[in-house]
Amino acid sequence: MIIADLLLSSCHYNTSILILTREKEFAQLIKDNQGLIIKVSRLYTNSLEDEEDLFQEIVLQLWRSYDSFKGNSKISTWMYRVALNTAITLFRKKSKSLPTNELDINHRDFIEDDDEKHQQVSLLYTVIKTLPNVERAIVTMYLDDLPYKDIAENLGITEVNARVKMNRLKKTLKEQMEKYA
Amino acid sequence: MPEFDLDSFKKTWQEQPVQQKYDNTEILQMLNRKSRNYVKYIFWISVIEFLFFTVLGLFYIIQGKESNSFLSILEKLGARKTTELEGSLDNIYVVLKILSLSVTAYFVYKFYQNYKKIKIEENLKKFILKIIQFKKTVNAFILINILLLIAFTSIFTVFIFYILNTQHIEVTNSTLTGFIIGIIVSTALAVLLIWLYYKLVYGIIMRKLDKNLKQLKDIDSQEE
Repeated sequence: MIIADLLLSSCHYNTSILILTREKEFAQLIKDNQGLIIKVSRLYTNSLEDEEDLFQEIVLQLWRSYDSFKGNSKISTWMYRVALNTAITLFRKKSKSLPTNELDINHRDFIEDDDEKHQQVSLLYTVIKTLPNVERAIVTMYLDDLPYKDIAENLGITEVNARVKMNRLKKTLKEQMEKYA
Repeated sequence: MPEFDLDSFKKTWQEQPVQQKYDNTEILQMLNRKSRNYVKYIFWISVIEFLFFTVLGLFYIIQGKESNSFLSILEKLGARKTTELEGSLDNIYVVLKILSLSVTAYFVYKFYQNYKKIKIEENLKKFILKIIQFKKTVNAFILINILLLIAFTSIFTVFIFYILNTQHIEVTNSTLTGFIIGIIVSTALAVLLIWLYYKLVYGIIMRKLDKNLKQLKDIDSQEE
């Protein structure tokens, strides 16, 4: 009886340890890749409050689909897929969204440096945010070097069309960046 | 500004100083947080709709039988209450009850099955389509309930005329007009209210989904 109890409790103990290890492993993964989630959260919200909310919602959705992620695709591809699905379709904003063209270009707190490069990054955020949701997603993934195959797969469009669209977007972004600079 | 080239800017973008905002403990805490999302919102509203229509359907049938409001309409129109009449009414109620319950059972099953199909790791297009499909199950349920409501009302109306006819009762024109207008107005009002409710509750989320889906379709139909 006592032995059985001991065995049972040790089994239970092992399972808890397993779950804890898995949670810790996941937390580490998110910590190492939080830049990706922060970028998506920034590109799809207009206030710091919404941005933090979206970040947390993405983490939650990633955790829920963590079991089905078996390493068939690259970590960044899987993360982008879940993050973009959440940002574009699932997320319920708290604050009313602003018209993107009225955004204050320099309101972001993360850019403390005022050198030219950082100003350009900040401007690029603003310009990307004027694009429709799906185009925004294409540019985001492209900037992080995801192959066209993965960009197309994540959105459910053909690779050729993703490429064609991105080439057009490059022109649009170039025009906008040079206009506002 | 010098010429801007997105490709040569990639490196700067990737190296942007994104602060390490959250540590492991904070991330672990996020896992216990409640999710606020549209699918969950649609899910719970749909559950409430299911319950509402199921209860309403049952109420309609049970109440109709017990209070015999239908019989009282018949009596007001001048029909005589006979055992034969009550017998056939009972039969109609049983058929309607079975029909209504099996429709609900079928939709509850479909509803759950389509909800399970929504997977966040699906591609964006499939993801949106599956949410729309899930919502369509609920819409179909509501639509069938409205049709059933109209069908039940029509069956009872036909039944009333049948009884009046077999009992050779002449109804004055004004009573008849009042009766028919009453039925049409109450049915139309019910349908209108349901339609308004749908526009209000699902308008925003459905428009958002449609807009994104349209963007995806536009990209896939562009000329090369």
